[in-house]
Amino acid sequence: MRFVDEYRSGELAAKLVHELERLVEPGRSVKIMEVCGGHTHTIYKHGIEQLVPEEVDYVHGPGCPVCVIPMGRVDDAIAIAEQPGVIFTTFGDMMRVPGGRGSLLEAKARGADVRMVYSPLDALELARGNPDRKVVFFAIGFETTAPATALTLLRARATEVRNFSVFCNHVTIGPPLRAILDTPGLRLEAFIAPGHVSTVIGTRPYDFIVREYGKPVVVTAFEPIDILHATVMLLRQLRDGRAEVENQYTRVVTRDGNPRALAALDETLELRDTFEWRGLGWIEQSALKLRERFAQWDAEARFELPSARVDDPKACQCGEVLVGAIKPWECKVFGTACTPERPLGTCMVSSEGACAAYYNYGRFTRELARV
Amino acid sequence: MSEARCITCGDVAVAATVVVVEGDTAVVDVDGERERVGVELVVPVSVGERLLCHAGIALQRLEGGE
Repeated sequence: MRFVDEYRSGELAAKLVHELERLVEPGRSVKIMEVCGGHTHTIYKHGIEQLVPEEVDYVHGPGCPVCVIPMGRVDDAIAIAEQPGVIFTTFGDMMRVPGGRGSLLEAKARGADVRMVYSPLDALELARGNPDRKVVFFAIGFETTAPATALTLLRARATEVRNFSVFCNHVTIGPPLRAILDTPGLRLEAFIAPGHVSTVIGTRPYDFIVREYGKPVVVTAFEPIDILHATVMLLRQLRDGRAEVENQYTRVVTRDGNPRALAALDETLELRDTFEWRGLGWIEQSALKLRERFAQWDAEARFELPSARVDDPKACQCGEVLVGAIKPWECKVFGTACTPERPLGTCMVSSEGACAAYYNYGRFTRELARV
Repeated sequence: MSEARCITCGDVAVAATVVVVEGDTAVVDVDGERERVGVELVVPVSVGERLLCHAGIALQRLEGGE
């Protein structure tokens, strides 16, 4: 990215850290949840935890779409992929996510035609080029990614591509935040809200956090300076006794988001009554499915799915990591039975997962505390 | 910015410069690499404009220098 140096300036970082030192109350910990996995990644990669005063305690939230997919949905994906004539397409990180019956990568090794794509539009193109095959796209992600699926469905309808369907697992950011806020004994004081989800939905959907729970929120981007600046803004709100939704990422985020993206989502997708989240359980109206008018492109309508609920492995503590109850390295199997090469839990799969991010960077940045 | 990052997460949205516009699709330049992205959500776009792109589509127009 051009001008990225501006957002990684050591001098600016030092100023912000100095400001944080002035804002914290010595000895009083402030727990701030960074909702998005991308923020978690930045925090570990740049050693931000070691840079800020020890009173600032970042709690890693549920904003990694790969990490919150329950094992049963992975099994459903594998069941589709193993149907005759299917080309099953997925983003790369989903390939290694373990379900109850192994991963998509293992299904591929057994002979299923599983292919990695960078966009659902690539999957649609694949369907056009293979009219005798059934091409299915494994749709996951928050409101940042859902518009790509929506747009692809609109194009599939407009161009009448019938051998394409979507296995929809898109989730929404608001309901899990409410579920976390309703957790008994929760000690979170403030939220760093996701940057690019907010380019789509705007900042309005976070209003309930300040209105109903009285917790400050700052929407921010993904460079180290952004995270530090957001932290300063949150501590200022706490110092002043304010609870507001502030926008640090004004360079792309607006109050109302992208109305065209929201309209495309509304045209193609609707809320499910309930959806299972790994670590958080079933959350009402927290995920999206295809609208009835798109039933012919809905893999759940076109394929028989086992739809079985699968318990997470007993030793895996992803659930506690996802709600911020424990840090990644406090998990019993962290770095031993569960590593990025052989993940037991989803938080170790995606590079945005708190466990993988800490495994890859955190262990080393403790001593190299610099931006 | 996107090194080793997971595509499903919002933070792999990247800034890209429009090189060619072909109806609902644009060819964009991302750090020297050419990609095709759907631009329905940000039309009209013109050559030279900066867009925030994710999973093969443009999500938002970028103002100024980013």
